[in-house]
Amino acid sequence: MSQPIRNAVTLNIDGREVTAPEGTMLVDAAKHGDIEIPVFCYEPKLGEPVGACRMCLVEIEGIPKLQTACSTPIRDGMTVYTQTDRVKGAQNAVVEFLLINHPLDCPVCDKGGECPLQDIAMGWGPGKSRFTDPKRHFQKPLPLSPLVAIDRERCILCYRCVRFSQEISEDEQLVLHERGDRSFVGTFDDRPYIAPFHGNITELCPVGALTSYTYRFRARPWDIEDAGSVCTLCPSQCNVKFTVRDERALRVLARDNEDVDDGWLCDKGRYSFQMLASEERITEPMVRAGDGTLAPVSWEEAISKVAAGLRDAGTASAVLAGGGTSNEEGWLLQRLLREGLSSPNIDSSASGARADLVRELSSPALGSRMRELDYADAILVLDTEPLNEMPILDLRIRKAVRRTGAQLLVASEHPSSLDGGAAEAVRFAPGEAAELIGALAAALGAPGYEDDGPHAEKAKAIAELLRTGPDPVIVWGERLFRTPGAVEALLACAKALGIDKRLGPGLLEVPESANGRGLREVGCLPGAGPGLAPTQTGAAASGIRDGMVNGEIKALLLSEADPVRTHPGSEAWRKALASTFVVSIAMFDDPSTAYANVVLPAESHAEKEGTVTHPDGRLQRVRPNVPRPGQIRPTCQVLTDLAATLGQTWDLPDQPAVLAAMTDDVDFYAGISDETIGGQGVRWQELASGRSWGPAVGGRTDNQGDPPPASAGSGLLLGTYRDLWASEVTERNPALRFLKRGQMLEIAPKDAETMGLENGDGVRVSVNGTSVEARVAIRTRMEAGVGFLAEGLAENNGNALVNGAGTRIEVEKTAPAAEFEAAGMGQKATVLSLEGEAAAR
Amino acid sequence: MEAKLNADKTDWSPFPYLDDQDVISVQRGPEPGGLPGAYRAFGETLRGLKTTFGRIIEGPVTIQYPEEKTPVYPRFRGRHKLHRFEDTGLEKCVGCSLCAAACPADCIRVVAEENDPENRVSAGERFAEVYEINLSRCIFCGYCEVACPFDAITMGHDYEMSDYNRSDLIFTKEMLLAEPIDRTPLRSEGE
Repeated sequence: MSQPIRNAVTLNIDGREVTAPEGTMLVDAAKHGDIEIPVFCYEPKLGEPVGACRMCLVEIEGIPKLQTACSTPIRDGMTVYTQTDRVKGAQNAVVEFLLINHPLDCPVCDKGGECPLQDIAMGWGPGKSRFTDPKRHFQKPLPLSPLVAIDRERCILCYRCVRFSQEISEDEQLVLHERGDRSFVGTFDDRPYIAPFHGNITELCPVGALTSYTYRFRARPWDIEDAGSVCTLCPSQCNVKFTVRDERALRVLARDNEDVDDGWLCDKGRYSFQMLASEERITEPMVRAGDGTLAPVSWEEAISKVAAGLRDAGTASAVLAGGGTSNEEGWLLQRLLREGLSSPNIDSSASGARADLVRELSSPALGSRMRELDYADAILVLDTEPLNEMPILDLRIRKAVRRTGAQLLVASEHPSSLDGGAAEAVRFAPGEAAELIGALAAALGAPGYEDDGPHAEKAKAIAELLRTGPDPVIVWGERLFRTPGAVEALLACAKALGIDKRLGPGLLEVPESANGRGLREVGCLPGAGPGLAPTQTGAAASGIRDGMVNGEIKALLLSEADPVRTHPGSEAWRKALASTFVVSIAMFDDPSTAYANVVLPAESHAEKEGTVTHPDGRLQRVRPNVPRPGQIRPTCQVLTDLAATLGQTWDLPDQPAVLAAMTDDVDFYAGISDETIGGQGVRWQELASGRSWGPAVGGRTDNQGDPPPASAGSGLLLGTYRDLWASEVTERNPALRFLKRGQMLEIAPKDAETMGLENGDGVRVSVNGTSVEARVAIRTRMEAGVGFLAEGLAENNGNALVNGAGTRIEVEKTAPAAEFEAAGMGQKATVLSLEGEAAAR
Repeated sequence: MEAKLNADKTDWSPFPYLDDQDVISVQRGPEPGGLPGAYRAFGETLRGLKTTFGRIIEGPVTIQYPEEKTPVYPRFRGRHKLHRFEDTGLEKCVGCSLCAAACPADCIRVVAEENDPENRVSAGERFAEVYEINLSRCIFCGYCEVACPFDAITMGHDYEMSDYNRSDLIFTKEMLLAEPIDRTPLRSEGE
């Protein structure tokens, strides 16, 4: 199903000719004619209207009773009145009814000043209440979750939050209890509402019933200012705006952009503003002294130290960019390395992505827009868990399945939260991605692929469903690059499906780092320079690590990258970082920065000026909202200064100059400027420069990931996955700390039985003498013979054990679950302590 | 050019200055001298002096500020006061910031905070953690008083607010809550 074509319909509202696309609801159509119809419960983002609040009643000629404008689609020749006495009487009555039980505590209420109920009572209300009896009372405010407070007196029962929980995030926790005036919103089992997107309900609530503890009583709308930016904590790159008071960010709100985030935010993005003004933040350049302590120095001294270290290393220098590094910074980094130091060793992720494949995959014909998911016939999620790696994508896929009936297919190593809604969910063992996708390619009839492996049945089922409609979208994780042959097979699948022949369908990659696509396109890829042009081949992340250990690489510059935590082989990375000259541009003293000889403070996404590229090719602007704390300087400026110290004179005084130079250098970014990007971003594929895309040829074609070791022996096969909360963000923001999780060994019930393990048992998982402590979690939708650990935890990081696909683990039981329960660390205890924490608020 | 009196003119045009002869003529009084002249020299002077001597008898009216102060009217808008409930001693202000919104000079800053039920500051859920009025900016319009939904802020009668330092004119909540030494006399009824 492609994007439907909607004809224009003309109707008459209050004597005005209004033209709107067919299928539009009357409320939205009225906006085309500059007529406002008041609403409470109507929110197009939430899907089908419910008509619960009755605020939008209008008179339609030919219909005797008043109709709800939010749920009445427009018709050609319709005549509507929104200003008649009957309508006004109805509106007055609705407002009067709503206010009967609504407390008059606006001065205390957090919503005061930005409250739709205030606005509507003022604009459409009777101005006077005839109600003299006592109002309904509830205990207030109660914690709905550790982050959200509910004041049930103020609730006007519009169902927005309940609909969000039931139909958008599909966590199905919120329900409306009781009936009539006793109705209230709560979780069905009275436990705290804990879900990865639950912060959205505070933004949806049209009254002050749901308020955020982090923003409670902090400011009024007239105390604050906001400016848009883009959240660069994950590849979703959601459009956000920071609520700033007294130069401090107090809140993060969504900035609706249907092409990126559909108006939602995940809790990680929403509550991660506290770290911006954290005491722990690095705010000045520091140099490590002989005794291992960091001492603050001036910028000039720090830059000369960095320059000296890099000059000494010369061609043996390397750069690892990651996290929120912007396109400009990435471009300057690669230029500094390639021009200033004549070294080709630069990478932006742990996947070892091959330059030639990246080039092929970046082709505009193969790519898919975010919006394309809404019109897809089938969506294949291939070896990625959107909820963990790109949370907003999870909501987008759920929306497609729920509203347009897309067939959802999941093929992954780790059980996915999307399994439940999937038409077909298949598992494969870690490291077998190439076999499965190869079988899929064979089932789709791609030349050169044979269909005889153990995955043939699963692949056939997926292939059949993929062919149900002309427009499939394949969402795949950059992780596929870790398995040799997987991405080639994916390309073969795409071609067999004819994805490159049609405008709508396509591939959508979930990169490993937040600006993964942008960094690669500006040249942070071994073997590809700016614009993915073939260039001298350098070492990829794993090659850099090995080079550092054996002395081939003598200096490493980390830009917002934390390889110890996020890259496989934590121990090897520690060893590598300890033995070389390391410069880290970082916001916090993270595990990798702990080894840095020079630490330079990094800007956050609320302070930075620059551009980032969304996984679908959309360039967006990161804009400064708050001043840079302490001595922090713009990273672009620091890199230019560094280059000048190394003898490179670039005439790039500020970010706009760098952007201009970068767009000149990256041929398919040509003509992109701050104006073309604007507030909503622009996909380079849709510009003239993108349409003239031609694939470059040459460059290296060998895989650069960790080589698969000869996996022998018994024991479970180790798989790792990234967890949404297993990141530094969770630890640096007090509001999110309660979500900090421990390591869990996820195994299939069959394996648990043979190994004699139960849910909650403490185990030691080891590989070649390295071990991590974990608790057992039995998952039913898993393949037998595999054990999963989460990556990126501060302690017991699953990455510590990974040294390539096919690693086998030994599991040793250390303590039974009962012991943890007794010590107050059991599963039940965790839930109870959470409730306690919530109650204590 | 020959001077010409307007009085001689008979055809008054509605636009006198558009006349071709742009002459400003002055009408003078009678020449001094004679009886009228003597009256003007002595009579009028004595008439003026009557007021002067009359006031001398009344005594001085200069108010010896600062030893002595002008009484103000009851609705005089002087320095603000914040109030507490008389019975409970809790602050009336809940930190709603409406005064700050109403303030045309933008001189009020309110930072609210959540009340601790054990140790209440105000009666509601929230209270003003910071309440500052920059009196060097205040224009004493009284809009804050009008905006306040809890009658927590009123305009007092105090007008003596000069200081040596601008920053000393930023009055904090404690200063505004403190019972001012009422130095300003109130004008009595009918005065």
